[in-house]
Amino acid sequence: MVTAATFLQLGVSGLTSGATYALIALGFITIYRASNILNLAQGDFVMLGGMLTVTGMSRLGLPYPLAAAVAVMGTGLIGLLAERLVIHPIRNKPLIISIMATIGISMTLSGSALLLFGTSPRTLPPLAPAGAVSLGGGVSVSSQALAVLLVCLLLLAAFHAFSSRTWSGKAMEAAATDRLGADLVGISRSVSRMQAFFISAALGAVAGVLITPLYFMQYNAGALLGLKGFAAAVIGGWGSYAGAVLGGLVLGVVESLSLAVIPAGYKDAVAFVALLAILAVRSKGLLGSRALEEARK
Amino acid sequence: MPMTRLFGRRQAAVLLAAVLLVAASAVQTPAKEPYILGVNLDLTGPWADTNTRLKKAMQMEIERINEQGGVNGRPVRLRIKDNGFNVSQASVNMLNFAREPDVLAVIGPFEDTFQSTTRAIAERQKVTNVIVCPSNPKVRALSQKWSFNIAHNDRIVAKKLAELCQARGYERVLSLPGNWTLAQSLAANLKRFGAERGIAVHISEETHKPSDIDMTPQVIKTKPRLEQENIEAIFASTGGPPAPILCKNIRNQGIELPILGTHAFGFGYIIELGGQAVEGVEFPSGKTVTPYQLDEDDPAKPVIVGFHERMQKRWGIGADQISGHGYDIVWMLYQAMERIQGRITRAKLRDSLEQTSGFVGCTGVFDYGPNDHDGLSPDDLILMRIKGQAFERVRLNGAE
Repeated sequence: MVTAATFLQLGVSGLTSGATYALIALGFITIYRASNILNLAQGDFVMLGGMLTVTGMSRLGLPYPLAAAVAVMGTGLIGLLAERLVIHPIRNKPLIISIMATIGISMTLSGSALLLFGTSPRTLPPLAPAGAVSLGGGVSVSSQALAVLLVCLLLLAAFHAFSSRTWSGKAMEAAATDRLGADLVGISRSVSRMQAFFISAALGAVAGVLITPLYFMQYNAGALLGLKGFAAAVIGGWGSYAGAVLGGLVLGVVESLSLAVIPAGYKDAVAFVALLAILAVRSKGLLGSRALEEARK
Repeated sequence: MPMTRLFGRRQAAVLLAAVLLVAASAVQTPAKEPYILGVNLDLTGPWADTNTRLKKAMQMEIERINEQGGVNGRPVRLRIKDNGFNVSQASVNMLNFAREPDVLAVIGPFEDTFQSTTRAIAERQKVTNVIVCPSNPKVRALSQKWSFNIAHNDRIVAKKLAELCQARGYERVLSLPGNWTLAQSLAANLKRFGAERGIAVHISEETHKPSDIDMTPQVIKTKPRLEQENIEAIFASTGGPPAPILCKNIRNQGIELPILGTHAFGFGYIIELGGQAVEGVEFPSGKTVTPYQLDEDDPAKPVIVGFHERMQKRWGIGADQISGHGYDIVWMLYQAMERIQGRITRAKLRDSLEQTSGFVGCTGVFDYGPNDHDGLSPDDLILMRIKGQAFERVRLNGAE
């Protein structure tokens, strides 16, 4: 018998994983909009964010915030390099080749991580003091989870401000919305794409730093995280930023709530059943997908 | 093509083979031919660190054996193959070893899903397979003729856990098991052995996978049950990364009940990852975890301390339960070879290994027999607590 408090508690705990799915989904969409590429290495950026922070702290002795900042910037640069060295040279080849190339990037990153960081799972000190915050009615949430949620929301706001208020953010938007138009007004799509890879890699890395204290990080953790983020982006509406965020949160909550009725062993399957259900009923996702509709024309 | 014209292709090949054979035997004559042990480990993939440590331990001990003069004046060599954490590569390695006539026995693999395959090959090809950490009780219990196990099995761990519960006075325990066979069977065995001691052990149907990164929902769903059934302790029947995650999730939900762990909690990384959440966890553990906290009259103490210090000196890493298995494997095979009269064959080595009795290793005192290829008892485990971010041996009234 599942009580109302348990149900509520499950929902609250789902929001935390939902927020990280949202960040990963956002990374997918940023690259997709700038280049039409589905970047299958997105999960590995998340892994790198966590692992580089751990390494910065343990091997270089950096303080936590600095190590995290270095890791996020470093991952961003790795993303940028991956774009310049792998994606840029094949930009005129069919799209599917670029997508396959991102699988190569993913394998290179997780393989290098295996060699550099070893196979043991690593963790980071919590962002917030340990313990649980009671929300009343027998529902409590761990303070780390609250911190994750908070940082995610801040980041989403910052990201929104970037793409709607700054010149380079708007240029990226323009290059994504209307290629010919962007070319005509002199916006370089090549630069936009580079920027997009930097931003998504950095976003992924932030997600990595946030979840490492909660879930630990391992060289091969990227694959499953990437898959969940991708599912979130599709559920929300492929190609839309707001959809990515909503999709992430919905996925996290649905995944968690589903456990009220089914045993926990099936949790991972829920994400993909939810994905299939959304695709069957509303194939453009919750918020609709202009990108897919345009592709269909 | 003058060659083909002179001899024809087949003759050329035969001639070439003959020349190579002569050359090869000429090269080999000076040194005495070594005894070969095949090693089939997961040296890459998720268990790479653990397996590399195990490999280093075995290499170090083999060197010691050879410094002592080897077996019958002949050196012992490890022939190491990586299975790449891939079941087909693991079986190919096993088959290849079986077909190499000089390989006397095969050690590994480590991942338990690969072990049933190599056991079957060992049975068919009649070569000894020493299994490291056989964690699937159903496979382990097949009592195959050619496989020998190096690890504490689920039954003795559960017995020790039941002793721990009784000594602590826990009468109602809830198990939160992983979904893999060992985790499930530890929970089931604790229920069984607990019942004999008047302890009610409930098993939650909320399981988790080895790859799960968050068990919060499972804990939330189980929480009401803890109060309803007046549970006094939680048994985290799990291992690997899920072990510290589960402890964190339990503590984050504000649950303060004592947590019991499995022998898989006896690794440094569990403390590193779990931090404050694993503080106070108690579990039955292999003795290798705390070499210096063993009783002075424990026969395993000098073995473990010596091995631990050699590992420190040679590789800069201390001993752990898995590398301790490496010590046991190498020396047990060595002693089995020493016992053999005349030429050492695969069949003789198997029979001799089965006669192992009173072998004091890091994992415990091994007594193999025709019906027992596990060879250990609950006395080979000690009780451990995580205290002050370190392992501390626990001695309770009635159990230690």
